Amino acid sequence: MGPVQVRVAARGAGAVKGKVGRSIRAILALPTIGWVALFFAVPLVMVLVYSFATISLVTFNTTFGWTWSNYRQIFDHLYLDTFIRSVLLSVSATAGCLLLGFPLAYFISRQTPRRQRLLLVLVIVPFWTSFIVRTYAMENLLGPGGPVDHLARLLGFSQGLVLLYTPAAIGIGILYSYLPLMVLPIYVSLERIDAALLDAAWDLGALPRRAFWRVTVPLAAPGILVGCLIVGIPAMGEYVIPEVLGGGKTLMLGNVISEQFLSIGNAPFGSAIAVVLMLAMAAALFGLRRARKLEET
Amino acid sequence: MRARRHLLTGLISALVVLFLWAPLVNAGINSFNRDILMAAWKGATLLWYRTALADTTVKAGLGQTITIGLATTGLSLALAVTGALWWRRATARGRRLFDLLTYLRIMMPEVVFAVALFLLFSKIGFPLGTLAVIIGHTVWNSAYAALIVQARVLTLDPALDDAAADLGASPWRVFRRVTIPGLLPGIAAAGLLAFTFSFDDVVTSYFLVGNQTAPLPVVLLSMIRFRITPEINAIGMMVMVFTVSLFGAAFLTVSRLGRGARRALSLPSLADQ
Repeated sequence: MGPVQVRVAARGAGAVKGKVGRSIRAILALPTIGWVALFFAVPLVMVLVYSFATISLVTFNTTFGWTWSNYRQIFDHLYLDTFIRSVLLSVSATAGCLLLGFPLAYFISRQTPRRQRLLLVLVIVPFWTSFIVRTYAMENLLGPGGPVDHLARLLGFSQGLVLLYTPAAIGIGILYSYLPLMVLPIYVSLERIDAALLDAAWDLGALPRRAFWRVTVPLAAPGILVGCLIVGIPAMGEYVIPEVLGGGKTLMLGNVISEQFLSIGNAPFGSAIAVVLMLAMAAALFGLRRARKLEET
Repeated sequence: MRARRHLLTGLISALVVLFLWAPLVNAGINSFNRDILMAAWKGATLLWYRTALADTTVKAGLGQTITIGLATTGLSLALAVTGALWWRRATARGRRLFDLLTYLRIMMPEVVFAVALFLLFSKIGFPLGTLAVIIGHTVWNSAYAALIVQARVLTLDPALDDAAADLGASPWRVFRRVTIPGLLPGIAAAGLLAFTFSFDDVVTSYFLVGNQTAPLPVVLLSMIRFRITPEINAIGMMVMVFTVSLFGAAFLTVSRLGRGARRALSLPSLADQ
């Protein structure tokens, strides 16, 4: 049989199998669907239901119903600070990642392939390091008597500079841990840019600065958008970094959720905050879809 | 003007790379520092490594991490491979829905998902502990594994399966001799990644482990919260070497096995079915 006949025969076999095969194939989707339904969808729906319930903090009885009181509580002065701090920290850490990450991604994309590989390894290996270890390493760096403190004294600040256990330390920690997540997608989109496009811009008289802003940056936009989303969204719900670098105070939403569930036992209020974070994620997924459309056009 | 900008981006890049490495190098140096306060260099010692290796909480935590990691890897691969085999011949609509489930699991802030599962388990009376953590890790690890195995499935020609079936191979034989070898690089990479992610996880483990033996990252978190000792630097360095090797292996597996599996899938090997 020639290759064409084999293909035709194979297609025939596939069609015969199709009737029996369809139900067998549907079974293949079941493990994933079942696992996701039981251990992902059901718990999240529970969180949604709980976020509208109330709890008596005396008897710990939960009353289900439809109240917005938990959501209103997020905007009470007690938690409003935490909410604003979470948003500000994740936005500024994302901006910081972009400011540091873009030049690095740009620089890498302009090197020879060999040097590109070497530089990428230098960016990725810290990212491959255990998350908790990286956060701890940052604690060492920012703590009293650490290198930053030393450097500040050397530069003439007699009080030194201890950033540890401040919101700034959390911001630096997020910036540090998430930076590679910004560099990689931007690098991928920059690396794809056809050099001929820039040559054309220059030939047509565009100054390098103009070519950069009118050609390079727009073409890198999908990578920038993806980078901002995969940094900004997890940063909003960050738990470990504020726990370690913020000194265990409830400085961000992730810590408030944890405290409400594990220490205080107020699941309805904790759930309301969780729902707010879920909404932020939904907005991000929507943004990602837009990014993909942008890439297609 | 061009050269000047390259100089500037080069300078910024050098500083950023320095920023990425400085904390790790600092922790690495301090892991050998005799000074318990880590304020100044007081000579080299292996004391912290010896302390770490003798620490029973650390040892128990490591064992727990490996147990959880292996179970999570197995379950995630089972879900990812069956899912990918379905996905391979699914309609475009089915694929989109399936992919949505995958991306939702990846994008969901981990703390949200972890408390949700904590809420479910505590309400239905499912005990927190090793099994609960494995279930939790599998939820998001299977999503990453699915992406990798699906990417691999796209490169396989379904006609090969049909041809093998046509030549008389039973469905199980087709699966074992044609589909699985083709998927192997994806399975290996997904497995290594799942193990590493599970090994590295703090948040899901922290919420779901209850009062059972805590896995290593959770042990480290509580050590960091309550005391600072150079022992953590030593553990950190050992964990770093381990996770970097695993990730590196995952990375190399994709490129290495890629060629081997393609050879195994070439037509002559089909003749002996």
